[in-house]
Amino acid sequence: MIQSTFFYTTAIILFLIGLYGVLTKRNVIKTIITLTIMETAVNLFLVTIGYVKNGTAPIFTSTISDVHKFVDPLPQALVLTSIVIGLGTTALMLSLAIRLYKKYKTLNYLEMDGEDEK
Amino acid sequence: MKNTQGMVNAFFAFLLVVILGIFFFNAINQPLGNGLVLNKDNPDLSKRVSIHYILKNVHNAEDYLAQHKSSYFRNRDKVKSSNLEFGKTKNAESGSANEVTSIVVNYRGFDTLGEVTVLFISILGLGMLLHENKKKYWAKPSLIVRTGANFLFPFIVLFGVYVFVHGHLTPGGGFPGGTIIASAALLLILGLKDFKNKLTMTKIIESLAGLTFAGLGLVGLFTNGSFLTNFLPSGTMGLLVSSGITALIYIAVGIKVAAELSSGIMEMNGGGEE
Repeated sequence: MIQSTFFYTTAIILFLIGLYGVLTKRNVIKTIITLTIMETAVNLFLVTIGYVKNGTAPIFTSTISDVHKFVDPLPQALVLTSIVIGLGTTALMLSLAIRLYKKYKTLNYLEMDGEDEK
Repeated sequence: MKNTQGMVNAFFAFLLVVILGIFFFNAINQPLGNGLVLNKDNPDLSKRVSIHYILKNVHNAEDYLAQHKSSYFRNRDKVKSSNLEFGKTKNAESGSANEVTSIVVNYRGFDTLGEVTVLFISILGLGMLLHENKKKYWAKPSLIVRTGANFLFPFIVLFGVYVFVHGHLTPGGGFPGGTIIASAALLLILGLKDFKNKLTMTKIIESLAGLTFAGLGLVGLFTNGSFLTNFLPSGTMGLLVSSGITALIYIAVGIKVAAELSSGIMEMNGGGEE
């Protein structure tokens, strides 16, 4: 139980760090990095829900066949989906950042002004 | 002035984060309610949501639920299931030794089809956004990078293929395997001076792999009556040739993800075939 609490705490702290970064940073790349940190925190939280004490990976091998010791495979399957979709959104965000930099020659939100380019 | 504004913003953000943190920590330290609680020190299988996925008896559970509607939730662990043992169990419902794979590809295969579609759409959007990107010419790679890229490329691809071919037996599967192969493509871009983007080729491979996925699902629809049914015998659990369409679908997913991410990397490297 102690180990579970440790991972829950880590997930919450990571999420809060990400939230603070999203609220205060004014750089596109830094915003993307902090969003990714938040995503990692949520994934960690979901995987921790499926943890059981002294659990093994939910894979049958020649030595492991005790189904009662398996950690829950369902959250892991959901997190797999979540990671892949996170990859897709990160790729899109980065390409948007490239476009923004090409247009405004800066990555700071505050310096992006539509009238400056004329 | 600007600095003061930033300090004020940071202060309020910090305040919000601290308050949210207090709420979160309070929530995980609440005493548990009267509902069904899984004791994590000594887990009881019958109280887990995924019991039928773990024991591979979802169809038996459906029949049981149809017959004994009132007593099902008390007797979830009494639903008939075959004895699962590595290398011995024959024709289990989903024959893959890796439970996560059996959920991702077999029981929730439709979900994975949607996931692959999301990845496809995001890479499509990346191509649209970076369409005008000019091809970049990096600094000339040094001898070490060139030799290393040429030497390591086949081994990285081989490892990626190993990961997705064994997706139903070991950790890993189509998505990690595809990502490993895409990293090999990235190594080539960095290591070869005269690397040519092959966007059309990757798009064709990707489309064929996606069609294979959907086509296997359609074959299940016409032979057994529901989309993505396992219509092949699932074989002995733990062998390479086992688990029916699960292995085939994961190979298709691996090839699709590899081609898709490689095309994304080439798009970022500067689009166009020249």
